[in-house]
Amino acid sequence: MSSLAIPVGRPVKRGRHVLAHIVLGGGALLMIMPLLYQVVMSISTNEEVQSTPPIIWPSVIQWHNFADVFTMMNFGSSLKVSILITVIRVVGQVVLCSLAGYAFARMHFRGRGLILALILSLLMVPGQLFLIPQFQIIQSLGWLNTIPGIVAPGIFSAFGVFLMRQFFMGLPDELEDAARMDGANPFQIFTKIMLPLAANGVWALAIITVLWSWNDLLWPLVIASTQDAAPLSVGLANLQGEHSNNYPILMAASIMAMAPILVLFIALQKKVMAGIGRSGLK
Amino acid sequence: MTNLNRRTFLSVAALATATATLAACGNNGTPGSGAAAGDYAAPPKDISAELTYAIWGAAQKPFLQESIDEFNKEYPNIKISIDVTPSKGGAYWTKIQTLASSNTLPDVFWMNGPKIKLYAQNDQLLPLDGIVAAKAVDLANYPQGLVDLYTVDGKVYGIPKDYDSSAIFYSKSLVAAAGVPEPTADWTWEDLKKHSVELSKFYEGKGIHGVTADLTGGQTSYYNTILGAGGVVITKDGKKSGYDSPEAIEGVQFWRDLIEAGASPSMQQITETYSADLFRSGKAAITMEASYEAGATFEAMGDDVKVVPLPKGPVSNQSVIHGLANVIPANSKNPDAARAFVAFLAGKKAAELQSASGQVISAFKGTQQAWVDALPGMGAQAFLDAAESASPYPASKNSGAWGKYEQDLLPPAFAGTKPVADSAKELATKMNEALAQEA
Amino acid sequence: MSRVLTAPPKAAVPPRDPSEKAVRRRSIKRDGIWPWVFIGPTVFGMGLFYVWPVLQTFYYSFTKWGVFGGSKFIGIENYVRLLSDSEIPQSLLNTALYTAIVLLGIPIAMVLSALMETPGMKLAGFYRTLYFIPYITMPAAVGIVWRLIFNGDFGPINWFLSLFGIQGPYWTSTPGFALVAVALVGLWMSMGFNLIIMGAGMREIPREMYEAAEMDGASRLRQFFSITVPLLTPSIFFVSVLTVIGGFQLFDLLYIMMGKSNLAMPQTQSLVYIFYNQAFLQNDKGYAAAIGILILAVIAILTFIQFRVQKRWVNYV
Repeated sequence: MSSLAIPVGRPVKRGRHVLAHIVLGGGALLMIMPLLYQVVMSISTNEEVQSTPPIIWPSVIQWHNFADVFTMMNFGSSLKVSILITVIRVVGQVVLCSLAGYAFARMHFRGRGLILALILSLLMVPGQLFLIPQFQIIQSLGWLNTIPGIVAPGIFSAFGVFLMRQFFMGLPDELEDAARMDGANPFQIFTKIMLPLAANGVWALAIITVLWSWNDLLWPLVIASTQDAAPLSVGLANLQGEHSNNYPILMAASIMAMAPILVLFIALQKKVMAGIGRSGLK
Repeated sequence: MTNLNRRTFLSVAALATATATLAACGNNGTPGSGAAAGDYAAPPKDISAELTYAIWGAAQKPFLQESIDEFNKEYPNIKISIDVTPSKGGAYWTKIQTLASSNTLPDVFWMNGPKIKLYAQNDQLLPLDGIVAAKAVDLANYPQGLVDLYTVDGKVYGIPKDYDSSAIFYSKSLVAAAGVPEPTADWTWEDLKKHSVELSKFYEGKGIHGVTADLTGGQTSYYNTILGAGGVVITKDGKKSGYDSPEAIEGVQFWRDLIEAGASPSMQQITETYSADLFRSGKAAITMEASYEAGATFEAMGDDVKVVPLPKGPVSNQSVIHGLANVIPANSKNPDAARAFVAFLAGKKAAELQSASGQVISAFKGTQQAWVDALPGMGAQAFLDAAESASPYPASKNSGAWGKYEQDLLPPAFAGTKPVADSAKELATKMNEALAQEA
Repeated sequence: MSRVLTAPPKAAVPPRDPSEKAVRRRSIKRDGIWPWVFIGPTVFGMGLFYVWPVLQTFYYSFTKWGVFGGSKFIGIENYVRLLSDSEIPQSLLNTALYTAIVLLGIPIAMVLSALMETPGMKLAGFYRTLYFIPYITMPAAVGIVWRLIFNGDFGPINWFLSLFGIQGPYWTSTPGFALVAVALVGLWMSMGFNLIIMGAGMREIPREMYEAAEMDGASRLRQFFSITVPLLTPSIFFVSVLTVIGGFQLFDLLYIMMGKSNLAMPQTQSLVYIFYNQAFLQNDKGYAAAIGILILAVIAILTFIQFRVQKRWVNYV
């Protein structure tokens, strides 16, 4: 049990690490097992996938399933839409949520508590509830089938405001006070001093927004009626048939859709780690 | 007639019994003037419009695109883009309903049996009698059951595109190895019961059952046996549930008996593994299944799979027929272009392209041979024969309301946790409440 | 709720929140127009895209709402029906059990991240990535895989159990088991996020505290419970709030793993699932709106309670 132990200054004995590796490795295997199976499905034939009992390994590896994805759906254009809406959402959320989060954490104004409570309570409402009213708003803005239409409601995030507020609350007063003495206005204090200090929070918000935006299905599905406006999540859903499915193509496509995010995660891991973790504090 | 403005025409139409007859008196004037009223004449070839065609079957997109290309030879300036939304998880209907609530329905879209009355009776759809009256479409070309399905309050709202009917599939090798006679067109319910029990006995311990069917929905299973026992799911006027009749109860009981006798996999097994997959993987020797599974099953089993008509129940061996139709929204911005396109899709050329794809059976009579030919030696003609005498898919104005009750209340009956008669009566009560709400 | 969030904690823990100090120091001074500039865009967008729909939903919950628009005021009829609908309390119970199982992911994540954060631990980044992968998968694809894994006849889980002579249940179609199966997938999907929050939370715990404990001869197990756990409570709180909210959003997995007609559905379905069926399948949108308002109310109350109770157990260092 002592391998449960925790960061300590001195190095731990090798034997303990072995036990830790066994626990972590076993757990990791359980975690990625379904995905390994997804990989197996992606290189099998449809008959093999639907056979019962299911196959463990295909008789002939069908690498062409990955190539076939490009003929079954417009992967390239969907990827472009996904990247575009994700970038716009991330930038939009980071700007809006950090501004608002800062105000709620560090400024004083009438109705602060009430407005924050209102925003927080919106964090909790499942998306299905808003579908028709939000659609009608987008329609009256004339944004159906457009990138702004897909992106607009998702730029405003109660979660993001909450997250950024938590971050700004954790920062010390001193720098802010000093800047105020020097005659800086609140906007200058925010951009020059406080925002850089909350970089971890910004990264956390960014990666979570990337994930939500990338996998968001229902809203873009309803808003985008043309192929050129459909992101990957929608393109992927459209691969499913009514009665029969081409599972290998679906699995191959979903692996391909996941890949960019995985690469991004690995590349940003250090920043992300520090970022998301801080949001748990205060 | 073109001299009449729309309001005058509507008041005339209100008095007249047959709008279609009026509309048929010819229209040489500007296109679109009488669309809402129902008259139609093929628009000039140079008419230009941009249409969206919303569908849910991604697999059908290729041949539909071919149809559009053909259509464009005639109408080069009508641009049509296909919008696919999956029906899985209800996405297609969630989207269509949202679009309808905002008056932005696609120019032409797929409709199904359970939803047609909901959209037609809530004034969401354009009546298509004008196309029929103008002889651009002849309804005699489609199975009567389908035409009835899409005729609401005496008006045609959808032109049938394709259909599916049900039949018996069996594996020659599994049946032969067990020494059981092969199913024939003359089989009765009793034959099916008796021989599937024998099959299950023979294959005991091997995880192979005599017969299976999809009991998570009614179309390929209990809807057919309710008809076979002489019952109905819903009365013809769509106002009362038929589930509390002894005949309907007998039709549902049929499946419970098969499960209880061990002839069929349990309700849970069928829920967790799609019954068509069980059959294709050799886990069941016989299945009652719809024509839409014929292609995939033939591909998986080849010569081993054969098809014969449904077994005869106490009254009949009738199958339910269901099929999709192309519809146009009531407030269409391009009613003439949209109707020209629907008329083309309803025609022989588009039907042949559809049949040749082997995906679905075209609703257009005489074009289905290509589909049967794509399944050589299977006996797929049985589906076409079944369609001739088939009964329309049970539907009312708000089928979804009681469809949910079927999904919730029948599984316990099949599983044996509640007597079939009790479940059926509870279902009938709730369904009648839902139907009363429709009025 | 806002009061809960900003008021000084009454518990033994001294107030350390900087904004609290600020409140006391400049209790009268306000920041004039600036806060409104900062929150303006968000308030506008929230109002348009979220508050307005909520108000609309609230209004429609008192009407019989036509499938394609048009509504008739019927007073509290929908709410009366809500009270007598036996599916509602059952679905709340389902959500509670689901959430309870997904919450188990929190202690698991604590243990696993304690292992990952051990100094000198090799491959920590690699493990972190592996555990994170489920969090980024698309539910539509992975739900199908889980359906196969839990399959009663052919799934690997029951095959594994059979090695020990246990005959596994039909996981996704037996009342009780179906909920467990869906919740396990929910736990699986949330693990990556939990781990990252816990891991980083742990790394902010000052090393010196462990060194001091080490000198006092405290065992590692004891260090875990007397240093790590208490100092991690803010992270635990944050994750719990999100998990509870997440429990009420359960929807996609139900559809994908269980199908539309399932023996176990009454003992598994969530309120959102009932909402969706009423709104888009059964076409009773007025009643659906009332369910929507109930969902809002229940989550708001639960979150309020969580913020209240946090003062008793969350330690802000």
